[in-house]
Amino acid sequence: MSAIATNKPAKSRRRPRWLSNTALLLGIVISVAFLAIALLSAFYLPHNPNVPRIPDRLLPAGSPGYVLGTDVLGRDILSQLMVGARTSLLVGAGGALISLIIGTVAGLSAAAFGRIADETISRGADILLSIPGIVTALVLAATIGSGALTTVLALSAFFTPSFTRVIRSAAMSVLQEDFITAARLYGRPTWFILLRHILPNVAGVIIVQFTLFFAAGILTEAGLSYLGVGVTRPSISWGMMLNEAQQQVGISSPLAMWPGLAIVTVVLGLNLLGDGLRDVLDPRLSRRGA
Amino acid sequence: MTLYIVRKLAFFLLAVFAASIAIFLLIRGAGGNVAAIILGKDATADAINALAQQYGLDRPMVVQYFDWIGNIFRGDLGRSFRTNEAVTDLVVSRLSISIPLCVSGLLLGLLIAIPAGTYSALNSDKPLGALITILSQVGIAVPVFWAGILLSLLFGVRLGWLPTGGWTNWSADFWGAVRSLVLPIISLGLILGASLTRYVRSAVLDVMNQDYVRTARATGMTRMEALLQVGLRNAALPIATVVGLQIAELIGGTVIIETVFSLPGLSRMILANVAAREVIVVQSTVMLIIIFVMFINLIVDLLYGVLDPRVRLAR
Repeated sequence: MSAIATNKPAKSRRRPRWLSNTALLLGIVISVAFLAIALLSAFYLPHNPNVPRIPDRLLPAGSPGYVLGTDVLGRDILSQLMVGARTSLLVGAGGALISLIIGTVAGLSAAAFGRIADETISRGADILLSIPGIVTALVLAATIGSGALTTVLALSAFFTPSFTRVIRSAAMSVLQEDFITAARLYGRPTWFILLRHILPNVAGVIIVQFTLFFAAGILTEAGLSYLGVGVTRPSISWGMMLNEAQQQVGISSPLAMWPGLAIVTVVLGLNLLGDGLRDVLDPRLSRRGA
Repeated sequence: MTLYIVRKLAFFLLAVFAASIAIFLLIRGAGGNVAAIILGKDATADAINALAQQYGLDRPMVVQYFDWIGNIFRGDLGRSFRTNEAVTDLVVSRLSISIPLCVSGLLLGLLIAIPAGTYSALNSDKPLGALITILSQVGIAVPVFWAGILLSLLFGVRLGWLPTGGWTNWSADFWGAVRSLVLPIISLGLILGASLTRYVRSAVLDVMNQDYVRTARATGMTRMEALLQVGLRNAALPIATVVGLQIAELIGGTVIIETVFSLPGLSRMILANVAAREVIVVQSTVMLIIIFVMFINLIVDLLYGVLDPRVRLAR
């Protein structure tokens, strides 16, 4: 696939500028709010999200003491959503971070350490890419049991190959530059060139990819927890809340709205942030996303 | 072209081989004693040994591996420990749900993405073009199971037009089976369509900025004519790649959507077996899915070679 010659940058603007600017702004606002709520949940929650209060069950939003109402066991929805934000943050960012570290090392090695290293790493990544993330998660759940840590492992296994490919191709294009040749002629060893010259030049790509995989991680985690093979109580996940809500959906559809809206908002925010950062940090790549 | 096909086939076999080793090691290595996992925490050492002996789990790993992989290629996926049913039989009956669901979802996704992506690429300055961009951006953020829940709330619970879940067999009630699949297919197709729209849009944008399109336009063609006559084949390449990559996502979506609509498909079977710790059943069915995804990727690669001579001639 890399055999296809890349096209020259587009002359026309890809989307109206007002749309790009609004999108980036929205992405920043949502991402910051999400982080703030996730952090806040560690210090303050309106109620204990795991303690059932049967007399208060299925209260509508706006009830006294329960801003967003309660679920079928009388547990406060807002508190559950807040803890869910923390789970999304930890699991999504955890999975993205591990794949960032492994993917960067592997991608840089593939780019810089010759044909054999490149073929091994790239083909290995191709193979891993054709294993659906959900399948890895299922296998792990069947063997080591489900939980937040298993979910992080599954996400890492799923994202690392994509991360590796992106970093590899970014590093490859930096390696073509004249200043790399100059550094080589100067007698700098490969590892020095990688750390001193390549890494700073692919940092933008790394940050952008981290943001996008963070978002994808939140989506995947929600899916796994919805299936019951992700996070389990006493941890709370938005996907898990949706699973519980669906069993009651005939009774109370608002239960199915809040966690879903939370997922969409946060994932959208992180994606907008990632795309916006790409426009700023990495104009070369911004053509692709559109 | 022959050399290209041979190379791709060799890589396919290598990939299947590598993945099978990975799955085998993951399950046997990470999980520890399979017999102990199956019998649970309260099992006695004698019971564990007896089960291990009965199913040959006490043999050397290498022997077990080749036994397993050899049987898969003979169409024998092993047996369930609890019910002693042949996994192959279980899988085949469930594929009659999973495959139509998966394939129709992909087709619907493409049916949405190709026109929507092309339109928004050619008309990014018009309101509808911008709207498509915004909708696809939002659609990417929607979890497929939430889309499913909302659709079943609206069309199942509120309007009562379509079933919210459950399944009647194809042979028992054909139209009933079709009705059961409508909402799942729409959920899958909409969400897949949203992310594919983005890729179609950027593929078309790339093509429209090429010199050969400018030349074609200079001969008096409209933008649409230029796209159809000289651009289409070039835009098809990146789209084919993305569709290949999306297959893994599509499988994930199918797993989840079968749960949303309580369809007794392949993934429901895997989930039930994960919960029951039927390790061998999980190992074999998962391998089957991976072979399927790799096979689709092989086909995409071969298509690539057909569409673009540069690819098959590259060394």
